[in-house]
Amino acid sequence: MASTTAAAASQPAAPSLALPPSQFARLQPHAYLLAHLSPPASSQQPSIRANGRAPSQFRVTSANTGSLTHTNGSAVVRVGDTTAVCGVKAEILHTEDIASWSVSHSSSSPSNKRRKLTNPTEKPGEDREDGSKDDEDDDNSYIEDFSLLVPNLSLSTGCAPGFIPGAPPSALAQSLSHQILSLLHSSRLVRAEDLEIWYQRPNFGAEELERHNEGEQMDVDAGPEAEEANLEAREIKAFWVLYIDIMIISLAGNPFDAAWTAVLAALRDTKLPRAWWDVDNETVVCSDLVSEARKLSLRGLPVASSFGVFEADAAAGWRAVVIPDAEEERKLAESERKGIQRRWILADPDGYEEGLTQERVSLVVDKTSNGKVKLLKMEKNGGFAVDRKELKDLVDISARRWDDINQILQRC
Amino acid sequence: MLKRAELSKSPPKANSANFLKIVDSALAATTAPSFKSLLFDRSRSLKELPAVETCVMTDRRRINGPPGGTRPPVFSSATVTTAERPQRQRQPNELRKIFLKTGLIPSASGSSYLEFEPSASLSAARASPKFITPPSSSLKLACTVHGPKPLPRSATFSPNLVLTTHVKYAPFAARKRKGHIRDASERDLGVHLETALRGVIVAERWPKSGLDITITILEAEDDRWWGDAPDSHDAAWGMMNVLAGCITAASAAISDARIDCLDLVAGGVAAVVADETPDGTAARLMLDTDPAEHQSILSACVVAYMPARDEITELWLKGDNSKAAVGTTDQNLSHEALIDGAVDAARGAHSVLAEAVRESAMRFAGLSSGTA
Amino acid sequence: MGGPIAVLHPLDRADGSASYKCPSTGSNILGSVNAPIELPGRRDALKPEEATIEVFVKPGTAPGGVGERYVEGILRTALGRVILGREKGYPRRGVVITLAIVGGESVGRGGSYLPLLPALLHTATLALLSASVPLSVTLSATVLAVNSAGEITREPSAKEVTTATSLHVLAFTSKGHLLLNESEGTFTFDTWDDVYERALAICHGSSTFGSDGDVAMAETTEGQPLDGIVRDTVEDHIHRDYAWKIDAA
Repeated sequence: MASTTAAAASQPAAPSLALPPSQFARLQPHAYLLAHLSPPASSQQPSIRANGRAPSQFRVTSANTGSLTHTNGSAVVRVGDTTAVCGVKAEILHTEDIASWSVSHSSSSPSNKRRKLTNPTEKPGEDREDGSKDDEDDDNSYIEDFSLLVPNLSLSTGCAPGFIPGAPPSALAQSLSHQILSLLHSSRLVRAEDLEIWYQRPNFGAEELERHNEGEQMDVDAGPEAEEANLEAREIKAFWVLYIDIMIISLAGNPFDAAWTAVLAALRDTKLPRAWWDVDNETVVCSDLVSEARKLSLRGLPVASSFGVFEADAAAGWRAVVIPDAEEERKLAESERKGIQRRWILADPDGYEEGLTQERVSLVVDKTSNGKVKLLKMEKNGGFAVDRKELKDLVDISARRWDDINQILQRC
Repeated sequence: MLKRAELSKSPPKANSANFLKIVDSALAATTAPSFKSLLFDRSRSLKELPAVETCVMTDRRRINGPPGGTRPPVFSSATVTTAERPQRQRQPNELRKIFLKTGLIPSASGSSYLEFEPSASLSAARASPKFITPPSSSLKLACTVHGPKPLPRSATFSPNLVLTTHVKYAPFAARKRKGHIRDASERDLGVHLETALRGVIVAERWPKSGLDITITILEAEDDRWWGDAPDSHDAAWGMMNVLAGCITAASAAISDARIDCLDLVAGGVAAVVADETPDGTAARLMLDTDPAEHQSILSACVVAYMPARDEITELWLKGDNSKAAVGTTDQNLSHEALIDGAVDAARGAHSVLAEAVRESAMRFAGLSSGTA
Repeated sequence: MGGPIAVLHPLDRADGSASYKCPSTGSNILGSVNAPIELPGRRDALKPEEATIEVFVKPGTAPGGVGERYVEGILRTALGRVILGREKGYPRRGVVITLAIVGGESVGRGGSYLPLLPALLHTATLALLSASVPLSVTLSATVLAVNSAGEITREPSAKEVTTATSLHVLAFTSKGHLLLNESEGTFTFDTWDDVYERALAICHGSSTFGSDGDVAMAETTEGQPLDGIVRDTVEDHIHRDYAWKIDAA
């Protein structure tokens, strides 16, 4: 058996293969993928991944939103065989339940509203190029300080054999949850003003209050000068807290892209009911009319794309004690173009490829309305292959991926 | 029973992660009724717990919400009164359509996805949404089967296949947000499901092996209409529908994993309901009840039924219909009638199940002929 | 503000240890390495061909959480590529790296670990050297903040981090490869390109690689290159350890 395998490994494309391809793939995964990516020149076959994709090709992605009844917003995203279900449930956090609120926010003066303890020197010129509405730089401090976004990812759904159901979240699930929260914060996707529930003191009588409630959304958007008279009597009474839960139903590689796309689609689908402070009951009351509910206005559309680097010589890292210098690497790369390729950057690796790649690249890009690409996250770890030039190419691939995801999300 | 099942699943190991898990399950199993109060992280020592009782304890392995806890939204009473209870549009013996598909999760040896057809009121609400609170909900769940696989080293010898079932609601599955750790009702469902399946699988074929069945419920059935105040007739009626769905889905997934079974076991629900009709309140037997559509359910029954052998592997009867039966002296409301009704519902589910399994078999045949 | 302060082998009982203090970011890390050691409870996880690398990050004040699992993953991947886990005596055994955050800003819920990451990487590298774990290369890392005006700040303070529009951590091997990049915030590729240049200068100086493969170290406006600090720390330690021999000679 062993000798057959060895023979097969050395001559992968031979028609007299003793093992069926599926078994070869299991016994010699590295040789199997390498044989696909670097077919013998005589065979006239193109270099292609074992799953039939070109190196920079992503899997077929589909998204479906709003199918879960008990959520404020939900999405099912399938990226190939990886399936993520995301549900957003909104609950209310009263400011009286926030321990630090009464200290720092007891009065409702405008200066207090524009609060950022850690960032007192706020510059007006901090707006993004597209960001005519990105005015309130302080608003993320509410989201971070009061934990208004609570994403959790679960892999204990039987999505893959390795994860024991019922066990506490694995290290992978924990770091994915953290990555999603961290990206929600750093991309400032959700606006704090969408989550604020205001209360206007009725110094003009009950009728005025009623009218105010109707126009609440408008008031929030209006500049502080316009409502200066009202400001004295306005205060934040509560916040919406978004519990964003992601269940990975099926895991076949690259969970982050699927999970993030699901989060994005679910937040785009999320509707919050109109809510106001009820003075008599001292609580927040919501209207259950869909016509009064409003969608979140998200900042941009950050799209994640991940890559893995497959190396022809898997053992290079330990066998070659002397690793070539970066300069030498570049020369090697030059010669590579003529000769044999040593490494391939595979977009959207599936589960099989993830087991064979050490080096990972993860990018999150967004495009502004004028088509300019901006990066929100760029991670590369675990290898020497991807350097400046490769990253630039990957940014371009990710920008193309953005167009695809944008289309998919527009449709659903 | 519950405790044993949980412990056997997480064999004792020396390392700390596993140890914590055992403590977790043992703790949860022994104190199941008052489980809510124990939603804290096991790895924290007790002295670390905050002195003041807060709604949410922190869990170090998850991202926690605000420490002070949050409240679900309260809707104003003015709009609630205009909402109407959904009406059952189906005949008493008419079942909801079931969508059942196998093989959606390739990394599992067998998998299935099950969805109930939305009731008339829900599909109407979907088409033209007026209220944020949905009138009712329809079951959606995914089931995976991993195995048969060797038992862990530390497990004791077993001459048979060791079946492990695990049912978990997604946090967003129900009207009220569910916790991340299984609660009593989820454990209960797991035990019921195990009972239903144990009698079906030919366990002697796989000595020293384990089979893990995991069900994730993405959307659960309501226990009653949301507009109703809780009353004495209340029980977890929605759970019975969930169990019936779990049984049917698990059966499909087990077949998809090509585990030898005696028969395809299907789940079915029937209930005696008392609704106000124009001519007074009358108790009637209904199949496949959606609890949101009925004013009060007197009793309900869920069975796991094997049609080919005419055997029941699991029977769960809840509620008290003696009053209704005495009052009317109607034989149709006896327990036997209730069980027969549930069996009829299971027969209906079985036809869907058989079709899904045939599809799975075709796919497998196509796959093996393609590679050979 | 001076350069970072690194001490090799402050702990007696660990196989290797190091402490590292970066005055500008305020981070202070104590790390220990035990390798190669048997991991008896982890028989299933042990790999037949190479060492199993485990990284634990212990935050100073708060109990650990999901953020620590994430940063542990980053460190494990980066160091896993540098440690020669297939050398004799290492397969089927473990390399356990424990990093305790002794001082500096603590990372909040969902907060960024990037300002701490270079210090963690340096501490781990020094501790690995101190434990004589075979490494293919050493590495040096830095964190840079870009503010709204486009100014790049090296090793920003906590206050500068909050005002920054993007944060970048870059780690280079002693051979000049980009081993790790973690960037977050909003930025363009051109901004990152500038950050890359600056980071390379910080880690390696404005050095050119000589024809014989030796790196010519040069002090620049950035002060001493970080790569040199790793080297000097080890040199100092060896000098002290072999003082008796040198004195005798």
